[in-house]
Amino acid sequence: MKKITASVLSTFILAMGILSGCGKTDQSVGSESNEDKSKVVTIEAQTAAPEITRVENLEKAAEKLNEELKQQGKDIRVKVKTNLFEGSWEEYAKQFMLAFKAKKEPDIYATGHENIGWLADGNYILPLDELKKSKEYSDVFSTLWDSVTYKGHIWGALQDTEARPVFYNKDVLRKLGWSEEQINNLPEKVKNGEFTLDDMTKLAEEAEAKGLVQFGIIHRPVDGPDFHVMVYNFGGKLYDPEENKIVLDKKAVEKQLNYYYEIAQKKLIPGNLTQMEWSSIHKAVVNGKALFYYGGIWNVFNWSQDNFHEKLGKVDEKWINEHFGMMLIPAAEKGGKPITLSHPFVYTVSSQTEHLELVKRLLELVANPALQAEHDVKTFHLPVTKSAAEHPDFKANETLGNVTYMLEYTTFIPNHEGFPKYSKAVFDAIQAVELGKKTPKEALKDLEVQLKNDLGDQLKIVE
Amino acid sequence: MGSVLKKWKLPAIMLGPFIVLIFLFFFLPVVLIAILAFTSMDSAMRWDFNGLANFQKLVTDPNILLIVKNTVIYVGFTLLINVFFGLVLGILTTYFIQKESVGLFFRTIWMLPRISPPVVYVLLWLWFFDPSEYGVLNSLRAIFHMPPKEWLTTHPMVAVILANGLIGASFGMIIFSSAIKSIPKDLFYAANVDGASQWSIIKDIIIPAMRWPLMFVTLWQFLSLLTSYEYILLLTNGGPLFESEVLALYSYHKAFRNFEFGYGSAISLVLVLIALIFSFIMWKLFGMKKMMGSSRIE
Repeated sequence: MKKITASVLSTFILAMGILSGCGKTDQSVGSESNEDKSKVVTIEAQTAAPEITRVENLEKAAEKLNEELKQQGKDIRVKVKTNLFEGSWEEYAKQFMLAFKAKKEPDIYATGHENIGWLADGNYILPLDELKKSKEYSDVFSTLWDSVTYKGHIWGALQDTEARPVFYNKDVLRKLGWSEEQINNLPEKVKNGEFTLDDMTKLAEEAEAKGLVQFGIIHRPVDGPDFHVMVYNFGGKLYDPEENKIVLDKKAVEKQLNYYYEIAQKKLIPGNLTQMEWSSIHKAVVNGKALFYYGGIWNVFNWSQDNFHEKLGKVDEKWINEHFGMMLIPAAEKGGKPITLSHPFVYTVSSQTEHLELVKRLLELVANPALQAEHDVKTFHLPVTKSAAEHPDFKANETLGNVTYMLEYTTFIPNHEGFPKYSKAVFDAIQAVELGKKTPKEALKDLEVQLKNDLGDQLKIVE
Repeated sequence: MGSVLKKWKLPAIMLGPFIVLIFLFFFLPVVLIAILAFTSMDSAMRWDFNGLANFQKLVTDPNILLIVKNTVIYVGFTLLINVFFGLVLGILTTYFIQKESVGLFFRTIWMLPRISPPVVYVLLWLWFFDPSEYGVLNSLRAIFHMPPKEWLTTHPMVAVILANGLIGASFGMIIFSSAIKSIPKDLFYAANVDGASQWSIIKDIIIPAMRWPLMFVTLWQFLSLLTSYEYILLLTNGGPLFESEVLALYSYHKAFRNFEFGYGSAISLVLVLIALIFSFIMWKLFGMKKMMGSSRIE
């Protein structure tokens, strides 16, 4: 009997031990002292893979901050603890949400600007209006402020931006009989509205018909901001800032769906494009199986990181520039304005941070032109300030220099909290028309029902 | 008082930890889901009660009919494979292969997918159905000079049912094998002496002796299939569009992809209700209580 009781008790104690082990493990406490007796404050920063320079730059900025603090005679030193997240964007958002509730979130959370809506609505982050007035951010490309503005406040420190050009395969155009001059002039023709979206489709058809490429056009395989640029291109709107509502612009969305329907019906895109893996997309493009690719300037970085090319493996910038050109998304109408979409990355600040003043100063210092230029050149992004765009390191990069003009043609997706739902529903509609399961008209009808159900009074329908 | 304490002391010590565990990990989540289902909790994680709004939304959801249809097809056919195939495997490895070591060897092989992590198991299926010419099915087609097909796009439900059905069969196999083993050998000897055919031995001896395990496996697998989605998530993620989306996966997608925690919980609550109702019907209809008693053969 005694033995049984003892074993039961020990099981119980063991179980309690395991259970308590599941609970909160103590995080390393922010403050400790080092040899020069100054207090060390740990600021945690997190970003998503693969661009680790986004947080590494904060570490470098902390060095400068520490010098400043030393000069001011303050006995505080800042240490930045970095964290690189690997996984999907949804998981990245979910992880922050749950970490925040467990009070384990990073002080600085780097994310895409479109997340500002739900982060601000959920009181996850703090407004950073002072940043706009700071010296470091005084020469930001002014349109970029729109991307971090929500409900009249600034919610993020702009980190970088990019261009989402259409890559075109120069080898294919050469085989089509284009001269080098014609090939290199294509971006200019797009810029002037001489080469339209229809011309692009026709050219893709021609290349495919002649057997030069397997696919005329490839776009991203998963939901993302790129698809919505077509609404702007067809003259539509996505957001009404006055009413703070998502807009379903039916005319523009129908044209958008028509476009994807058309390129699918003409078999210009892979039949299962929306089921493909990113790596297959990169492989198809790098190996010259497609003429046009709706990509992003950072793909140059991706292609140099992995063995996508069948023979060469990793390909460098020089190789890419020899074989690919980059142009704006052609205008929908002749003589119209071409378009692109940018997706600025921003540092947001947790509303639970205990070191707000230090974090703010850190975010000012991280906008340093040299730090920006280093990140931009390494990962193929564009700077957010004019001084960084003028930095010699940035200017030395030919690829980036060639696309910086695209910032003048850029647009953003809205910061509204409900936009991810809109985006998901539109992506489903695009998938349906591409797979031939619905006609654009049917898809639009279903989309309207879906959005009304998902967004309720957050939706405004424009006929 | 003292005698009551004496009577319940040992059971309390013995069962206490498990009751706590069951309460924490089984009962509490259901209560939480039931409360969450009546809130509009989203990414802001606020407990704003909104009455029956989530259930209204569920009824008017344009995808719900398709998803319910998928759920019925998925659970029905997978269950059929699970139970029927499990039974065939059980009879094959226990009755037809009399040598214990050989039967055990084959059963172990069938158990392998269950031991391997779901991601690895699904990876094999993904390779099997791969749309390129390197996929297993497509390389078989290539032998006959047929072009590669996009299996997961054209037949998502078939893929989902096959993957779930085959892995689930091993559960039935184990239960059925042990049930067949517990049938007294004399019955088989007598049947053989009387010249009974193999079919009649299966039909008249084995199956009747397995009514309870059959019912148990059916109910158990039904309940777990209703709420399982991990293989679908990994294999097709409910796609293309909503063609292989089932209720459990939809709840997951709404809660963790759209961050509509309230709505996701409402869908889960519906699933809990369906499971409860079916359990009750099966309990009453098939006289489970009687069957849980001792075997009538011995």
